[in-house]
Order: sequence, then C-alpha cells, then structure tokens
Amino acid sequence: MGLIQNLLQFIGVFVSFSIAYVAYRGVRQTESSSLLRLATAFVFLGFGFLVEGMVGLPKIFPFQPIATTAVVVGGLLLETTGYFFLAFSHVIDVLISKRLGVALLVFPVITLTSTQLADILSILSFYFVLYGVVETVYSYARTRKPDTLLIALGLSLIGVGTFFQWLSLLYQYVGVLSLLQIILQEMGLLMLFTPVLSFAAGGVKANGTV
Amino acid sequence: MAQYRTQVRIIADVLSTARDQNTEGTGVGITTLLRKGNMSYGRLTKLLSELVGSGLLVELDGEKISKYVISQKGIQFLTAYYAFEDFAQSFGLRL
Repeated sequence: MGLIQNLLQFIGVFVSFSIAYVAYRGVRQTESSSLLRLATAFVFLGFGFLVEGMVGLPKIFPFQPIATTAVVVGGLLLETTGYFFLAFSHVIDVLISKRLGVALLVFPVITLTSTQLADILSILSFYFVLYGVVETVYSYARTRKPDTLLIALGLSLIGVGTFFQWLSLLYQYVGVLSLLQIILQEMGLLMLFTPVLSFAAGGVKANGTV
Repeated sequence: MAQYRTQVRIIADVLSTARDQNTEGTGVGITTLLRKGNMSYGRLTKLLSELVGSGLLVELDGEKISKYVISQKGIQFLTAYYAFEDFAQSFGLRL
C-alpha cells in the first residue's frame, strides 16, 4: 500500500509542474505577477510531492531512518510553502482589487497539542488551502466560470486530504488515513489540471474572445 | 464597484479598443481610445508611444491627428493575454 501511495505522489508532481509551466509561460508573455506567484506555488508543490514520493521508494533511494524523517519533513515544508504561495496569491489579489475579501480568521478547530514540525506543517497547509478554497469560491461567485468552481472543488479535496494527513500523523497506526489522504489529494490535483487541459486545447478563439 | 486595473490589463484594453473600433480600417483616433480606455490624456499618450515603440500598435500619420492600428504582434499579444487571463481566472486570480 505504501508503494501505491508514493507512486500516486508522482501524479501530483506531473500536475504541479504542468500548472507551473503554463503559469510561467504566462509570466513570460504578460509579465503578470499573479501568474508568477501561481507558478512559484506549484513549483514548490511539485518538488514537495517529488520528495515525498521518493521517500517511499527505498530500493531506489536507500535513506537512513533519520534521513528519511528529515526528507519527509523537507517534503512537507516544500508542500506547505507551495500552499502558502497559493494563499498569498489570493491575499495579493484581494489587496489589488481593493475589496475586503473573505476574511478567514477562523483557525482550524484543531489545537496545536503536538510540537512536531510535521504536525504544524500539515495544519498550516490545511489553513492555506482552506483560504484558497474560500477565495476561489468567492471568485466563482463573481465570474460564474465553471473551471473556477472545479478548482474550488479540487482545492477542497486537497484540503480534506491535508486534514487526513494531519490525522494520520497523530494516529500513526491508521494507515488507511494516509491512503485516503493521498487519494483525495490526487483527485483534487487532477481537478486542478483542468485549466491546463483547456489551455492546451486552445480554448481561446483567434479574435481573443474567450 | 470600480476595480483597480493592472498595467497589463490597461494595455489589453487599449489594444482591444484599437482592434474593435477600427471598423473602417483607417485606424482609431486618440479620442476613441481615451473614451474607451478610461484614463487621462497624459497617461494614454505615454502608453501609446510605448506600445508603438514595442510594435504592438502602428501609428498612422493623418492630416490633423494620428490614428492607431493594432499590429499582428498586438493581435498575438491579445490572444495570449485572453488565454492566460482565462487560465488565471480558473484559479480564482486576475492577471
């Protein structure tokens, strides 16, 4: 089951780097700072998933136990940084548009009882994703664009997955939580892949109308 | 509610006006660009010279006033802009 989980991480790597690539192309052509933050977020997420995926392939990467822990925490740190940039993009978008935005000041209903770094990173990821979900839903209410709703749904699945990730760190014997987390995360990431497919399919007419 | 426009959004607005309002093929005057672009005269003339300099717009010298036509490069820029705007909007962001 562990090997499947780690192989599933590579779907996340592919999706993240694909989104980052399209966003980076956008940065080069339009010099948009929003796309730069989006590209940065998914580069971090991609590397985060890559590191986490590699940890589970001990035959290829024979880490020592202590190194494995460090790599897991490193992967989580990269992932959390990615989610931070995703949330940060929305914060900047709110500031630029001079609207109040949806102030999400409700911290997760979880108390920080553990000081483990992995726990804290998972909770932070959960919080950042939650903020991303709220802002994306708000954006959908404004644009009524189906893709935006799909992204919000995808982020929600990633958010629930991140919550399960935290639970799996708390209850180390519940292996099914880890599997559930990775399945939800990959389903969410595949939903985030939709705009890349739309972009690749050239959903924009030659006269520039969407 | 009035919304802040980014520089790239303003450029796209000016280029799309130059494209859409050029119905007779004789170019678009600065008055039309001012009205549709929603910005001050000083700012628009500065932007127009930048756009002409970068090859996104072509300036046609008329008898009294200059008129502007979108170039092939400008059309390509607009197409790319709309594609990436659509992409960013999917993530709930604006260019």
